[in-house]
Amino acid sequence: MRAMVSFTLDGSPASAPEGELLVHAAARHGVFIPTLCHDDKLDPYGGCRMCVVGVEGSPRPLPACATRVTEGMIVSTNSSVPQFRKTLTEMLLAEHLDSNPGGRPNELTDLAQELDAEAPFTLPDAKRKDYEDRNRLMGYTPDSCILCNRCVRYTQEVMQCSALSLEGRGPEARIVPTWERSWLDTECELCGGCLSVCPTGAIFEKFLEGTEQPERELVKTKTTCTFCGVGCQLDLNVDPTTNRIVKVTSEPHYVSNEGNLCVKGRFAFNFVHHPDRLTQPLVRREDGDLHPTSWEDALKAAADGLNRVKAEHGPHSIGFLASARLTMEENFLIQKLARTVVGTNSIHSCEAT
Amino acid sequence: MNVRRGEVHEVVSFYSFLEVPVDAVRVCIGPVCDCLGAKELLAREQEHAQGVPVLGVECLGHCDLAPVLMRGDHVEPEVTRRTNAGSSLGLEQADGTLADYEARGGLSVLRDLPPKEKIVEELKASGLTGYGGAGFPTGLKWEAVAREAAPRYVVVNGDEGEPGTIKDRYVMELRPHLMIEGALIAMDFAEATEGFVYLREEYATARARLQQALDEFSAAGLLDGRSLELVIGAGAYICGEETAMLESMEGRRGMPRLKPPFPSEYGYLGRPTLINNVETLAHIPAILRDGGETWPRVRLWSVTGAVDAPGCYEAPLDVTPRQLIEEYAGGATEEIGAVVPGGAASGILPPAALDIPLTRESLREWNAGSGSAGLQVFPASYSVLRLLAETMRFFAEESCQKCTPCRIGNRGMHHLVEELAHGEAVMTREQAEEWLDAMAATSICGLGQGAPFPMRNAFRHWPDLFEPLGEPAIR
Repeated sequence: MRAMVSFTLDGSPASAPEGELLVHAAARHGVFIPTLCHDDKLDPYGGCRMCVVGVEGSPRPLPACATRVTEGMIVSTNSSVPQFRKTLTEMLLAEHLDSNPGGRPNELTDLAQELDAEAPFTLPDAKRKDYEDRNRLMGYTPDSCILCNRCVRYTQEVMQCSALSLEGRGPEARIVPTWERSWLDTECELCGGCLSVCPTGAIFEKFLEGTEQPERELVKTKTTCTFCGVGCQLDLNVDPTTNRIVKVTSEPHYVSNEGNLCVKGRFAFNFVHHPDRLTQPLVRREDGDLHPTSWEDALKAAADGLNRVKAEHGPHSIGFLASARLTMEENFLIQKLARTVVGTNSIHSCEAT
Repeated sequence: MNVRRGEVHEVVSFYSFLEVPVDAVRVCIGPVCDCLGAKELLAREQEHAQGVPVLGVECLGHCDLAPVLMRGDHVEPEVTRRTNAGSSLGLEQADGTLADYEARGGLSVLRDLPPKEKIVEELKASGLTGYGGAGFPTGLKWEAVAREAAPRYVVVNGDEGEPGTIKDRYVMELRPHLMIEGALIAMDFAEATEGFVYLREEYATARARLQQALDEFSAAGLLDGRSLELVIGAGAYICGEETAMLESMEGRRGMPRLKPPFPSEYGYLGRPTLINNVETLAHIPAILRDGGETWPRVRLWSVTGAVDAPGCYEAPLDVTPRQLIEEYAGGATEEIGAVVPGGAASGILPPAALDIPLTRESLREWNAGSGSAGLQVFPASYSVLRLLAETMRFFAEESCQKCTPCRIGNRGMHHLVEELAHGEAVMTREQAEEWLDAMAATSICGLGQGAPFPMRNAFRHWPDLFEPLGEPAIR
């Protein structure tokens, strides 16, 4: 438990655990400080400057996303801060050519609307080279990028891969897959973490299934990923008109995965609606065909079969192969079943290979 | 290999010299070179290029030879220097060898170093401030580093990149031993066993002189278990900013760190680091030898542009532009239209300011600064809008891209000035001032914080040029 410190926020007394980032401490006191380059999964960067606040004793405003609360700190968000926010938003809009790629949420245009900010002009060198990638899952619209560098930092700090780079300096600078190769030819595992942190939708899912709905109208259902035993928490994003999953997201506060997903968890959800998917137990009868039945009947058929083999050939003629999708507890139960009920030591999991 | 492809991509694309062949031809198109015909020179070279890339680049650090052309790392036609005797650095007489240096009284301070408290006391008494541009009191900086836990590092900032500034090059080319003695005093003071000189890539002559001098120090046993190493930059103005320089030394893009913490606390490899400019260190032997009180309070002024004898001259801190031009640099070659007092980010002043002392205090009244003391003299025939446009283009090109106000603000101001030259107003005066306010207040480092000075000076001293933007904001 960290010690609590007292500080002053816009003239009112406030408290926070020592060392808490100012942006979080302020939020807990009902003062919302906008950020664009900040992400809780990443180290503080302080690049977009949208979150600057006045701190007494500092000759210039400090970024709330990178400044930690100390005892007696006097913080102000209401003197020159609102004008800075508006001006910085205008600046970002001056090179933001594509503000709405695919109807995705855009934190910059949301902020611009809230602050009533408009670009005074479009920079003559705002246009960036288009980018096409041959992979089927992720796309990138350079003209929507605001160089907050969240995606690149995600690849470096969280994934420790080298899939994206901040290239060059000056007006030519841009973010590209490393050496402008296809993501398929970099260290990228297509986990989609970069697009999950993008504030403007510049990096995006190439939807496996089309939806007519703007992304913000999708209905989220929280669930546990079924692909392996890690138990990542995720949100299925469902198109309310078709009742079909069109996208998977996750939040930084979710346990076990903290908002991170792998390529399967994020992109491999189309099995859910696949016509070949089994949705009820089937048992192969005398006629050689599979017939729908109840769980009770299906389990009995399996138990009878195992008992028959055990009686005829002994317990060591039976082996158990556990699925990689099982949790540790389920794996424990499987080996218990194998050893005590059937009496065999032949147990394996495909996760071991 | 302990390096990822993405890191290579990010770093190579950041530094201009990592992307071009070593024999490329580079022509400086910064304001001083531009006003002396750099674009024509560039066009002529490009016409005669024989398979070798010919590039227009920002400041090559030889503004006294403007317009400057480098073929590979060779400056054409050759590096020459104009300087004066001076009462602190004695640049007029170059030291060929360590023996020459010692014969002039060199090494006496290093061999008999006063106690730490005495050093700090003398530095404070001298009033010496950092001559790289920021002007932080040197005594306070040394004191701050000494308070931090060992191990500590010492870094000499020789990434002189501010357009119009050539003084550190003069020191390193003419009196390398003097700077090294200053650096070793700093290392002794900080009890640092490892020191580094971060030198800009363009300074091939200085590099050779420093390396030779370092070898002499080593052979004479003067390094004594310590190392002082040259680290060569790769062409990025921003790496003169101290935290960008540290990032660069650690092998990354030169993107400034957030401050605080300052390098005195968290510097090279996260350790307390004493960073001083080349010239600052070169003054220290004289200060400790003669005493801070008696030190003559001088600095090196680079005087370039439309003057008869461009060069680097030691002069008092309160010298005026007119004195520098007439008494040191041989007089103006043409009617003067504008002067830049101390490097690109220091401001732009009209001829009316020719007689003000170039101290921080007096320049503050003109909303300008003495910066790195690079006085650039522009003729009346060179339009102020073009000077301003070239200056803002320089900042835009050199922005590291980390923070919004510098990254986009400078491009916006460049666009504004370019369009004004065609009589177009792309934003109102009020909006422009809001942009400049945000740049000055919210940029991470001195590049974005300093870039508004020339714009604001021009608003004030050449108001007619900005009439299309409408009325200034009421403040």
